[in-house]
Amino acid sequence: MNENFSRISRLIKSKIDDTIDKISIMSAPYSYSYIFKYIIIGDMGVGKSCLLHQFTEKKFMASCPHTIGVEFGTRIIEVDKQKIKLQIWDTAGQERFRAVTRSYYRGAAGCLMVYDITRRSTYNHLSSWLTDTKNLTNPSTVIFLIGNKSDLESTREVTYEEAKKFADENGLMFAETSAMTGQNVEEAFLETARKIYQSVQDGRLDLNSAESGVQQKQPQRQGRTSLTDDTQTNKDNCSC
Amino acid sequence: MFGAFGKQETPKEMEEILNDTITPQELEKFEKVYMKELKDKKCVTAKTQFEYAWCLVRSKYGADINNGVKIFEGLCKDDPDNKRDHIYYLAIAYTRMKDYTTAQKYVQAFLEIEPNNMQVMLLDEHIEKELNKEFKKDAAIAGGALLVLGGLLGVGFALAKKYHDKKKPDEEVRKNEPAN
Ligand SMILES: Nc1nc2c(ncn2[C@@H]2O[C@H](COP(=O)(O)OP(=O)(O)OP(=O)(O)O)[C@@H](O)[C@H]2O)c(=O)[nH]1
Ligand SMILES: [Mg+2]
Repeated sequence: MNENFSRISRLIKSKIDDTIDKISIMSAPYSYSYIFKYIIIGDMGVGKSCLLHQFTEKKFMASCPHTIGVEFGTRIIEVDKQKIKLQIWDTAGQERFRAVTRSYYRGAAGCLMVYDITRRSTYNHLSSWLTDTKNLTNPSTVIFLIGNKSDLESTREVTYEEAKKFADENGLMFAETSAMTGQNVEEAFLETARKIYQSVQDGRLDLNSAESGVQQKQPQRQGRTSLTDDTQTNKDNCSC
Repeated sequence: MFGAFGKQETPKEMEEILNDTITPQELEKFEKVYMKELKDKKCVTAKTQFEYAWCLVRSKYGADINNGVKIFEGLCKDDPDNKRDHIYYLAIAYTRMKDYTTAQKYVQAFLEIEPNNMQVMLLDEHIEKELNKEFKKDAAIAGGALLVLGGLLGVGFALAKKYHDKKKPDEEVRKNEPAN
């Protein structure tokens, strides 16, 4: 009896949720022209899940358990007036997950490779993470190196300069972030998207290949039939 | 500006994880390691078992998922240190097979140990939603039956009432006639 009652109240709640969903779909422009697949990799505890959470929810999780396998998040962003949906796979850093999480690398357009500036060991492991990425993704995959926990300056073990040099030598983008304060988090995700989008524009990225990690949606709005026209106008608009 | 996205997409995020399937090649890779250890040593390391079982649970095929469940059930006993992971994947496996009641038992077992785990709370939300869908179906059928019954009773009452009140309206009509 009791159980039935809570079922019914849940049913009502879900009805309300459905209606709210419908209303917001009608009122908000949820359409987007591209989907970019991202992966987040790096040693356990460097703050991968916190970075994802900060990016999608604008919140910091002070106590965050180790990820089991993978977590997933999305957010729609805008680059050059194009709406892009980021589909982000956040992998578990614990060693026993490593072999299977490799199967998530395939077809990633962007890879956020994270270490913890207060733990040198997580920085020392970067070359192994980089090897995995190079082996399992394609040459056009954008790799962004993130030195996280920049708010913990007093216990820093890796200097900015050292990591910057490593990034330059390996052709990676680089920033220090804090999932706690939000510093540079937005930038890391967005700059990766801009670089991927640039590859799409330049034709360096094969949209028809599943490996590219980029999907193009058919334009949905009225009067927009050709995407090439679209991008053309956008280019013109943006040359300001 | 983007604040609205997070909340609404939450249920879909779980769906992405549940719909994500492993490629047959990838699955085969881990299967080979497992079979080799089984043949050579007659006993497979917990690591190999875990990796193979995780891949099985991500398979397109129910039979694979079932085999994954068996391995994870064994691991709960043989590798208790990582029980948290095994319980999580058992919940995922049963959810993928749409056995939501069993899935919910594993979710609850997990949440008893780790009450605020986001991953499992999202899974719990998804299972609740699916159970509600099933309940809605049941309710619709039950509701339909009630409507029919109610309808019949209603008709019965109406007829009885009409029979009982038969004279009244006639009288009224007659009363009204002169006024016209
Ligand atoms: N001070 C500070 N702490 C952080 C920051 N980012 C994450 N943390 C903390 O670091 C711990 C680990 O963060 P997670 O996001 O769970 O790490 P992870 O990389 O996802 O770990 P795995 O899932 O095991 O791979 C948590 O306790 C966080 O609160 C940060 O920028 N600054
Ligand atoms: Mg994590």
